[in-house]
Amino acid sequence: MPKPNNRANDIWLYLHFPLLPLETLLPQLPREQAAKPIAVIDQYRNTQSVLCCNSQASAWGIEPDLSVSTALALCPELQLLPRQSEQEQQYLQQLALLCYRFSPIITVHSDCGLWLEISGCYKLFKGYSSLLQQLHTRLQAQGITAVNGIGNNPLAAQLVCQTDFETELPSTRQLRQRLLDTDLCHLKASARQQQNFKQLGLKTLRDLLALPRSALSRRFDAALMLYIAQLNNDKPFNAPRFQPANSFHDLIQNPQGIFNKESLLFPMKTLLQNLCHYLMARHCYCQEIKWQFEPLIGEPAQMRIQLSGSQNNWSSLLMLSRLQLERLELPRSVEQIVLFSDQFIEAPQGMVNLDLFGDSSDAQQCNELIDSLNARLGREALSQPVLNQDYLPEQASTLATPGNQAETAFHNRVKAPQPVWLLTEPAPVQIRNQQLHWHQPLSIISGPERLCGNWWQGEQQRDYYLACDSKGARYWLFRETSNRRWFVHGLFS
Amino acid sequence: MTKPEIISSLLTRQDTWRGRSRRLPRQTLSTGHQSLDLLLQGGWPAAALTELLPQQMGIGELSLLLPVIREHGSHSHLCLWLDPPYQPYAPALSATGIALNKLLVVRSKNAREWLWAAEQSIRSGALLLAWARPQAPSYADLRKLQLAAADSSSAAFLFSPVKALATPSPVTLRLELESQEVNQLLLSVRKMRGVAAGMQLQLSLGESYKQRTQLTQLPADRHHGYIDISTPRLNN
Repeated sequence: MPKPNNRANDIWLYLHFPLLPLETLLPQLPREQAAKPIAVIDQYRNTQSVLCCNSQASAWGIEPDLSVSTALALCPELQLLPRQSEQEQQYLQQLALLCYRFSPIITVHSDCGLWLEISGCYKLFKGYSSLLQQLHTRLQAQGITAVNGIGNNPLAAQLVCQTDFETELPSTRQLRQRLLDTDLCHLKASARQQQNFKQLGLKTLRDLLALPRSALSRRFDAALMLYIAQLNNDKPFNAPRFQPANSFHDLIQNPQGIFNKESLLFPMKTLLQNLCHYLMARHCYCQEIKWQFEPLIGEPAQMRIQLSGSQNNWSSLLMLSRLQLERLELPRSVEQIVLFSDQFIEAPQGMVNLDLFGDSSDAQQCNELIDSLNARLGREALSQPVLNQDYLPEQASTLATPGNQAETAFHNRVKAPQPVWLLTEPAPVQIRNQQLHWHQPLSIISGPERLCGNWWQGEQQRDYYLACDSKGARYWLFRETSNRRWFVHGLFS
Repeated sequence: MTKPEIISSLLTRQDTWRGRSRRLPRQTLSTGHQSLDLLLQGGWPAAALTELLPQQMGIGELSLLLPVIREHGSHSHLCLWLDPPYQPYAPALSATGIALNKLLVVRSKNAREWLWAAEQSIRSGALLLAWARPQAPSYADLRKLQLAAADSSSAAFLFSPVKALATPSPVTLRLELESQEVNQLLLSVRKMRGVAAGMQLQLSLGESYKQRTQLTQLPADRHHGYIDISTPRLNN
C-alpha cells in the first residue's frame, strides 16, 4: 500500500547493484570460467553493447557501453553472455527479501536498484551506521556489489547515489548540500532538456531550483516539473511497496549437470538458505517443501518433505532432505533443482505457548523425531492409533498418519476387558473335538459380549468371548451370530 | 601366566563385570507394582535398555509396561512402538489412560532401518518399545542402543523371543516372562547389573479366571436378528 512519503524527516537509502546482470549469471558458471574476463551484453536497437563486465575484463579496458566489436578487439578472449532480464528481476526480488530484514518499507526499482526507508529502524539497529554496516556485510556475504545513496526522498537518494557503499549517515544539512551540488547532467532528463540547461547556464541542481517555478514550467514539460517537485519534497513520490510473495519458488540451474547425490547438497543448501530468509521475512513456518530434480531430457524426480513446522533453520531442513534423498531414484544427471513451498503456518502447534520455562523443547524434540523418521523411513512407515466412535472393533481403532491430532475424549461403552492387540484381519478358528483351536487349543473363560455394527449394510452381530490357552495367554474371540463361525480378533497382553 | 595373574589382569580391564560391585543404575521408573519395584530395586532402569523375553505373546508382557507408558505420555513425551507384532487397539489403551496422540507406531523394512529408528528414538528422548525382528539384532547393535540410552538418559524396552536367552546381551536388565495361568506372570531375572541373576517373582496382573466353559455350554442364539439384552451372560 503506497503511503505518502513526503515527510521531511524520512531517510531514504537507494541501493544500486551495478553488476547485477553479471552477478545473476556468475553462480551458474563453472569456477574456472568465472575467473576469465566476462562481459554481459545487451541489445538496444540492433546494436549490441557491453552492459557490465567483471574486474578481469576491466583490466583489459572493457567498460560499459562499448560496442561488442570494440570490446572483442580490446580483449579477444572475452566471454560474452547475453543479459537474462527475467532471472535478473528474480534475483532483485531475492535481494529485496534480504533487505526486508533491515526495513519494512522497500520499493523495487527495476533498473537494478532498491529503495529502503530507514528512519523507522533507527532504534532497532541502535543507530544508522550500525544498520548500514550490517546491511553492507550481508550484501557482501551474498556476493553482490552494491553502492548506495542517501537522501530525504527516494529520488534524491537515487540522484546522489555514489560509487561506493557509504556506511555513515551524513547530517541533514550535508544531505541537502550534496543534493543541491549535484551536477545537472545526472538528472533524469532528455537530451533536449539537458541542452536547455546548458543554454540557460544551469550547472547544478541549486541553480535550477533557484529559478522561479513558473518560469521553469514555461520552459520544461510537466514530467520534469513533477520530478523536480518530488526531488524538493514538494510532492510525494508514490511507488508500490515490496511484499514477500505468497509462495516460495526458487531454482538453481546447472547446465553442466550433477551426477551424484553428494554434489546436490551444496545447491540444495543455497536454496534452503533462501527459503529460510523468506520464512524469516514472513514470520512463518513451513509445513511442506517440495524438491524437483530435473534432467535435461526426461521425467523429473520429485520429493516432498513434510514438516511438523518446528524447523525454520536450513541445517535441519537440509538434514531431512538428505535423509529422504537417500531413498530417491534420481535422473542420471540433474540440470535444474527447484525448491517450492506454499504451505505456511504462523506458528506451529506446541510452539504457541512459548513460555520460558515450559517444555516447548520437548514438543520440538517430538516434532523433530517425527520429521526425521518420516524423511528416512517414508510416510507410510509411521502411524498412530486413533479412537473412533464405532461399535465394531476394527473400526473403533484405526491407524492414521501422525499429525497434530486433538486429544480424543474417550468414553468406553464396553465394560468387559479389552485386548491391547488387535489382529488386522480376524483369523478363523478351527473346532477340533469340541475344542477351539488356533495354533493351540483354546478354552473360553468368559463372555459373551455382544457387539453389533453396520446395521445399514448387512448387519453384523458378534458375540465376543475371552479365551485362554494352556500357557495362560488370553485371546479375544468372537462368533458371528449369522454363520456361527469363530474368529480370533485380538490378544491380551 | 599363573592363575592369580590372569585374574588380576582381567580385573584391571574396564569392561569386566564384577558381580559384587553394587553399582546400581541410579534413576529408575516405577513399574506400578510394588513387589516388582522391590525386585528391580526401584523400578525399571531409566537410562538403559531393558530386554523382556516372554515365553509367548499374550501372557501380559505389555501390561507390565502400560503404567510407564501412561506416565511418560502424561508429560507430553512421545512413546514409539517399533515393529509391534499386531495393531495396537485404541479403545483398550485409551481406557488405561494412555494419551493416544503421543503414541507412534513405526514399521521398519529392514534391520538397518530398525536400528536407525530405535537409536533416533532413544536419542530424542522418546520412550522406545521395540520388538526384535525375526533375525535377532546383533550384540553390537544392542550395545549401540544401550549406550544411546545411557547417553540420553531415556528408557528403552526390547521384546525378544525367549530363544534369544541362548546368546549374551549387553542390556542392563534381562527379564524372562512366563505364565502358567491366566494373569499370573512369573518373572525371572536373567541379568541385572549389580545383582546376581536368578531371582524370581510371581506377579498377579488381575483376576485369574479359573472356570472354563465348554463350547456346548455356550448360550444358544435364540433371538437371531436383533440385540437381545436378556441373553444370560456367563460370569467367569
